[in-house]
Order: sequence, then C-alpha cells, then structure tokens
Amino acid sequence: MSRIELVNLRKEYGSVVAVSSMDLTIEDGEFIVFVGPSGCGKTTTLRMIAGFEDPTAGEIRINGEVVNEKEPGDRDLGMVFQSHALFPHKNVADNIAFGLRMKKVPQDEQARKVQEVSELVRITHLLGKMPAQCSGGESQRIALARTLVTEPSNFLLDEPLSSLDAKLRRELRAECDRLHDELQKTFVYVTHDQEEAMTLADRIVVMNQGEIVQMGSPMEIYSNPVSYFVADFFGNPAMNLVEGEFVAGANGLEFHCSQFKIPLPEKFKGATPGKGTLGIRPENVTIGASGGGASISSEIELVEPLGKDTLLYFGTEADRPFVAVIEGTQVVQRHANVDVGFPDDAIFLFAANGDRIR
Amino acid sequence: MSMTKSQRRHAFSAFRYLVLTVWLAIVAFPIFWMVSTSFKPDREWFAWPPVYISENATLQNYLVVWADVSEYAVDETGNLETVAQSLQRPWVALRNSALISVISTTLTVLFGAVLAYGVSRYGILSEGRMFQLLMLRMVPPIVLIAPISIWYSALGLLDTITGLVMLYFLTTLPYAVWMAKSFIDEVPREMEQAAEILGASRMRTIWEVVLPLVRSGLVATFLFILILTWSEYLLALLLSKTAVVTLPVELSKYQGSTEGRVYGRQAALSVGITLPLIVVGLIIRKHLARGFSFGMVRR
Repeated sequence: MSRIELVNLRKEYGSVVAVSSMDLTIEDGEFIVFVGPSGCGKTTTLRMIAGFEDPTAGEIRINGEVVNEKEPGDRDLGMVFQSHALFPHKNVADNIAFGLRMKKVPQDEQARKVQEVSELVRITHLLGKMPAQCSGGESQRIALARTLVTEPSNFLLDEPLSSLDAKLRRELRAECDRLHDELQKTFVYVTHDQEEAMTLADRIVVMNQGEIVQMGSPMEIYSNPVSYFVADFFGNPAMNLVEGEFVAGANGLEFHCSQFKIPLPEKFKGATPGKGTLGIRPENVTIGASGGGASISSEIELVEPLGKDTLLYFGTEADRPFVAVIEGTQVVQRHANVDVGFPDDAIFLFAANGDRIR
Repeated sequence: MSMTKSQRRHAFSAFRYLVLTVWLAIVAFPIFWMVSTSFKPDREWFAWPPVYISENATLQNYLVVWADVSEYAVDETGNLETVAQSLQRPWVALRNSALISVISTTLTVLFGAVLAYGVSRYGILSEGRMFQLLMLRMVPPIVLIAPISIWYSALGLLDTITGLVMLYFLTTLPYAVWMAKSFIDEVPREMEQAAEILGASRMRTIWEVVLPLVRSGLVATFLFILILTWSEYLLALLLSKTAVVTLPVELSKYQGSTEGRVYGRQAALSVGITLPLIVVGLIIRKHLARGFSFGMVRR
C-alpha cells in the first residue's frame, strides 16, 4: 500500500511563488501526470516529493508517513531524470547495479536482479557497454532499469522522454504504459506534452502558475475543460478559440466577432453579455452537412491533407486560423465556399477572465 | 587571377602552418638555447658567431653542477671547503623545492577541491565573492612582503619549509578553487541526485560519482599549481635566504657576482629544474588532454 499525499504544499524562491498551497492525494498504483507549460510548478512539485527541494510550507506524506525531513534515498522512491543522468564512468551493468550496491544486496542477487530487469526493459545486449556508446532511447531504458531494479513503490519521472525524437518518444511512451501495467506501482510523471499526458495518465493534474487548474481523467479534461487555459492546452490540433462578444439579440444570446455572427445555443441564454471567447474543437466542426446548430458560409483558404484526416483552414488572416478536421477521404476544393457548422453541444464559452461559461 | 575554392583552402592551410611554425620557433628557441648551452664547453658560451649545436659537446657543466667533480675546484681560486659546499647545493635545493611544492600543491588542490565543491553545489561563495577571491590574488606579493616578513620573523617561520608551504598554499588556493569549480560545475547535478535517490550518502556520491568525473580536471589543476610553486622565485628569495634555498633561488646565484657568469653551469641547472616538470607532465598526460579540454562529461 503506497500513497503520496501533498498537504498544503508550498514553495517560494525569494518572492517568486513556484507552487502555491497544493493539496493532492496520489493513490496506490495510480499513473498520475502533472502537465503544464514550463514554469508552472510541476517539476518543482516532483522535486519536493523526491526530496531535492525543501517545501516552504506544507507536508509530504508517503505511505502515511511525513517525509519532509527524510533524505531522498529513504523515501521509497525511484526517479528517472530528463537527462537520464547515467554515470558515464560505469558500464551499463554497474549503472543498473548501483542502487543494489548501495543497499548492500549480496553480489549474486545483484547479478540476478540486473539480468531480470534488463530483460524487462529489453537491454540485455547493452550490459557490457559504456553509457556513451548507447543511443538516447537506450540510455532512457537503462535509466528506467536502474530505477526499477531497487523496486521502489513509487516512481517519479521528470520529463523522461523530452530529449528523444518523436518516434522514440512514442515507442518509450508505450513502454512506460506497459511497465506501469506490469508493475502496478505508483507513477508520478511530469511532462509539458499534452499528448503524453492524454495517452499515459489515469489522472491528469493540469498546473499553471503554481496552481492546480484542473484534475481528472484524460477524457474529462478533454471534453470538459474548466477554463480557456485548459481548453487551449489539450487537443491536437488545438481547440478553435475565437475572441469576440456575447450580445443579447432578438432570439437570445448571439456571438459576434470580426468575421462572423452566430446565435448561441439555448443553454447559454442566462449568460451575461460582454467580451469573451467561443471555443469549438476542430473535430467537432461540421462541413457542408447541418449538424443541428448555427452555421456560416466561409471560404476554405488552405487544405492540409494528413492522410487519415484533412485539415481545413478558414480566416487565416486572424491571429489564429479557424481549423476544421474532416475525413481524409472527403474531397474538398481550396477556395470553395462551404457551410461551416457549430453543433450546439460542441460549443464552449469562456468569459473574459478565462473562466468557462456553462 | 582568381583561385578555385580548393586552391584557396590549400593556400590558407599553408599560411596557417607557416604562422604556427614561426610561432613555435620563437617559443621554443629559449628552451633550445638552454639545452644547447648546457652542453657547450666554456669558450663557446659567448662565442660569436653563436654556436647553435656544439661540435665539442660535453657533460662538463652537468658534472660540475650536479656531481661532485673536483675539476671545478681546480678552476676556482677559493678554498676547497666552500667549493665542496656549493657542489652539494643544487641537490639540497632540489630536495627543498620538491618538498615545498609537492606538499603545498597537494594541500592547495585538496582544500581547493573541497571549497570548489561547496561553491559549486552549496553556493557558499557568491559569484562576487569568488571574483574577489581571485582579485585578492592580483595583489603583487611583493607589496605584502613587509608584513609577512615581520610576522614570519616573530613566529619563527622565516627560512623554514613550513613558512614557504603556508604562503604558497594561500597564494595558489584561489586558482585551485577557480579551476576545480569549473570542473565540478561540469558534472550535472542530476547525476548526483540520481545516486542520492538510489540510496548513496553524500560522501558516497562524491567518492563514486563526482570524483571519478573530475579526476582529470584535478590532475590538471595539480600540475598547474605545481608549475606555479616550483618556479616561484620572489617569495622564496625574500623569505628564505640561507637555510632553505629552492631551485629558482639557487639558479639566481649563478648570475651573481660571487661565481661569475657561468652560463653553461646555469643552463645545466636550468635543465635540471625543467626536467622534473616535464616528467610529471608525461606521467599524467592522459589526464591532461582530458582535463584541459574541459567539457569532458557527456550530458
């Protein structure tokens, strides 16, 4: 049974608040992902859990025990670093065995465990090599093995894949998922990549400016963002967010912006008029067919075929173009005028301060 | 007429070698002259046109300086006792120099490395303080010689090995801290943290992770400081005149009025002063190549 609890956790660097009053309970076996832009406090939080940073205030409990005063090595944690942090003067086998040696595990058992864990992450062929002879992907597997071998009940992963190229990243992402599945241990994972968060997490903790903005399953975060920030951060291509104004019209609330005007669905009739943002995910925008909502006629300015999908760009002279995703098999003409539909249940509204209007 | 790209590249390459060769000749000439003179018989020391490589090469100078050869006594008009004493002097000076520089350099690198670790990892000295430390070293030692002499005389440190060791330790420490810090800075913190979270104590981490990675750097630092102390002349001259004489001070005596301008002997002694450093350099050259190139840790 292992559980990590953060109680009122706070970290200040001089007058800068890196993490402000954070409360969070990470359950046994959970795969939790801290995600947010750089400087949001996610790495600081992880480093406080690891014991490399002392909290300014608050408590960290691991397995029910307050660990604020404990050394990193005594917290029942394993950590994988962004830079891999392999010891360059020791060969791969010695790197992996390091933790066992520190814990005074007998020699023959060390050898057995190193072998075992190398098979688990598929690096047995590298054991005799020096870290400098291994590729980035291999290095990260070795770093994983070095952490796994001591069998901690909690794993901390600090942007472990961000130094790798896209293909390797996907490959090792799947590997992380598989390891978590097999080990059933608690994984705390920090990333700035929303896609990694979506694919790996049981629960996502979205952070911004030292605070938790939203917490929930990937689907919850995706389909029910609490603010402009979260809506903007998750999803690829990103949600269309159009700045404009909510105006009371003859038939209820309308949305006016420099490019178009549309009536808003019934459910928003209680919203206060004023400046704000309308959001709709590119995959929810309908083209041609009526999706049961407002629609406008607009010119397709750019067609971007991606194979399976095709991206259509509208209003490219605006700060951010309006994007729609359609099936790759559908044929569209650039510069053609089409009906762009806003299905009622796909529309998000955000107030000027970024809060979601429901 | 314009050159093709590859012609231009060749021309530039030739020019570069020309410049480097000229530079090398200028730099190496005094060393060549020292070695050459040390093998010349007396009459060729001042010969004009100069003798570059003597056809009558002799070991005479070496024998006179480093070995107890009586011929020197015949040349001299002074009494035999003084001559015998002077023949022992280079070896005593060599012993003094070796003791003083090895002890003080070892102390300097040891303390310097520990201090540098503190600066690098715990920020015990700010950037400004570090700079002040180096600025302190910019003070010409000679201006402090009066207070040092007074205190040394009061403490009985004048003319002692301990006295020079202490002074060399203090004056070279700033260099050692600066150099060692640059090497320790190269070791990523995450590497230490990785060791820590795997259960290694701080001492263990330093011993097993940091030290092996900065070893080459510390060896380079050691040699740098060793060269400084080995060739230090001014403080050695002023603080130890009779009992403790170091090699550079000994060498200067050959320039003095009592013995005349015995260039060949001087050169033979100079070669003896230079050789130990070259030998040390050769022994540790594997470390030097890596140490002086910095950036040795693959991130």
